[in-house]
Amino acid sequence: MTPLTIRDVDRDEALGEALSELYGTTRAGFLRTAALGSAAMLATLLRPADAAAQVSDVAILNFGLRFERLQATFYTQAEEMGTIGRMKDAKQEWARTLGAHERAHVKIIERVLGPKAGPRPFFDFGEANETPAAFTRTAVAMEDLTVALLTGITPQVHDRGLISAFAGLLTVEARHAAWARHLVGAVPAPRAFDEARSIDSVRGAVDRTNFIVGKPKTGARRAPRYAG
Amino acid sequence: MTAAFAPRANAPGGEPAAQLGLPPPGVPAFTPGLPRRLGSTRHLSHWAPVKRSTPARSAPDRDAPAVATLATTTPEGTRNIVAVLARRTDRFGRPWVRVRLAELPNGTTGWVERAALGGYGTVDTRLDIDLSRLQATLYRAGQPVLHVPVGVGAPGTETPRGEFYVRNKLTRYRSPPYGPVAFGTSARSPTATDWPAGGFVGIHGTDRPDLVPGRVSHGCIRMRNEDILAVARQLPIGTPVTVH
Amino acid sequence: MQELEHVHPPGRWTRGRLLGAAVAGGAVAAGGAALAGRGGAGTSVAAPSRDTDAQILNLFLLLEYVQQDFYRNAAEAGSLGGELARFASTVGTQEREHVAFLSKRLGSRARARPRTDFDERMTAPDGFREAAVELEEAAIAAYVGQAANLTRGLIGNVAVLLSVEARQAAWIRSIAGVSPAPRAADPARKPDDVIADLRRKGFIA
Repeated sequence: MTPLTIRDVDRDEALGEALSELYGTTRAGFLRTAALGSAAMLATLLRPADAAAQVSDVAILNFGLRFERLQATFYTQAEEMGTIGRMKDAKQEWARTLGAHERAHVKIIERVLGPKAGPRPFFDFGEANETPAAFTRTAVAMEDLTVALLTGITPQVHDRGLISAFAGLLTVEARHAAWARHLVGAVPAPRAFDEARSIDSVRGAVDRTNFIVGKPKTGARRAPRYAG
Repeated sequence: MTAAFAPRANAPGGEPAAQLGLPPPGVPAFTPGLPRRLGSTRHLSHWAPVKRSTPARSAPDRDAPAVATLATTTPEGTRNIVAVLARRTDRFGRPWVRVRLAELPNGTTGWVERAALGGYGTVDTRLDIDLSRLQATLYRAGQPVLHVPVGVGAPGTETPRGEFYVRNKLTRYRSPPYGPVAFGTSARSPTATDWPAGGFVGIHGTDRPDLVPGRVSHGCIRMRNEDILAVARQLPIGTPVTVH
Repeated sequence: MQELEHVHPPGRWTRGRLLGAAVAGGAVAAGGAALAGRGGAGTSVAAPSRDTDAQILNLFLLLEYVQQDFYRNAAEAGSLGGELARFASTVGTQEREHVAFLSKRLGSRARARPRTDFDERMTAPDGFREAAVELEEAAIAAYVGQAANLTRGLIGNVAVLLSVEARQAAWIRSIAGVSPAPRAADPARKPDDVIADLRRKGFIA
């Protein structure tokens, strides 16, 4: 069985801008903005020793959110555009279920982060979710990558409540990955221990897909010259 | 399940009754809500930016004749976008997309290679322009959310009827005849073909609210300024516009 | 201008639905302190230690021993064929590796292998399928509950083992014809409950 991987393509410069959000704010920045919005969801500042940990947990959550948004959009778009409707029943059930799960993941992480959530990226999946075959190939690779990411970042999280939450998510993503593999005839659990990957490694893989792009410029500040 | 596997009678020894000393399970900081399947997609419309200049063909086939050439930018300097109508794969497995073009005659569609377009955008809004009632209705997820009176094309320079889409949005300009904000559509005035910027039908404000509603323009759809501002809050790029 | 009330899909804002939406939208830990830096949900929980590590790893080791025996027992009985047999063989090997890892990590503190005496119905295809699903799900729920209670260094090791348990669960569920991923997040279960359950169902003597 040939390994299924996300295609490597050249870097898109627009990614640099989009990814600058991933590094989180400075501690001072965090203190400045923590009072805004749904501060109840974020730590109080009563224990400054924890602030640095909170900042890095926020950065980790934001990377997780970015990745979940990518997946959620990939599945949702494929369903909205009709790619999933062209698949066999069993695969449709898989794809629709995963889309629903990823949307639920995005929603709750957005709630947790509140105003600290990074801006919604723009996506261009090109042909990857255009046909059932390309969709399936990409989804299998993406789900395995998600498992690698979550197993890699869960131990880096400081807050133990977050670790518990991540543990219950990584199992679901692992189920997704096994389910996808089963559908394409690959071994659902290929080894006794999964390969964990760091945020940097996963970020690199995502970069190479060129799925995250700059926002198309559809607005301008100039006087109209329409028909009138 | 448990009925099939009844407890073994008289099992000696075995595990201690409780795992003494184990901490209770950690409480997760968050729990996702119920996963929800997508509802009906019938109120959704899709659009895509033009990534590279490309011919739009009469059929999803590189050998089919070109109907028009898609540029990457609009006369306003914004990224050109197209409304996506259908998708098909050609005999080589290449994905193609049928799109609505901002070309004359109004209503022109063509097939372009998916690879020439960027990432899809999705909207659940729709703008309906009723030329007889001089009224615009904005729909969201199939429900009407705004009714506003409009000024439309005067006799001789009528606003074209048909299916169009919102292509760009202009702001921060000073041009009172256009009000505070203006949207460009894919519709073109058939009579303004020598207009420097292509004679596109816009949806915009006005410095003559007394003329709205009315048949007063060169084809554009005019709204009173407070109305265009209300509409602008709920009119994303790519929104389909039906003029009838 | 006549601004119509923003009309939502029917029923969305009825009181009943609002309450439903509150649950449907997900829950953030009570007290709001999702990132409090404390033991989750603002409660104070004893800090992880080498001692609790040992207890937790022994819980995991128990579960892996039981699974390993269960799969070996089924393979030896020889009643499985096709994909079920492949599943039992592959997963059995993986559970053996899990046992090896946990035992090694625990060293002299590793618990003894538990006594198991599986009902013969657990070796026939239908019984095996049901039992395998039960076992895998029990393990996942126990692991998910204890992951955050480990000292930091161990969490990473356990994470890449837990993900495989979840893959195994999804696999057997696929074979059994039930949804491999029934929920958006997997809940924890108390160790006592898991063990009592497994004992009651005849997995542990």
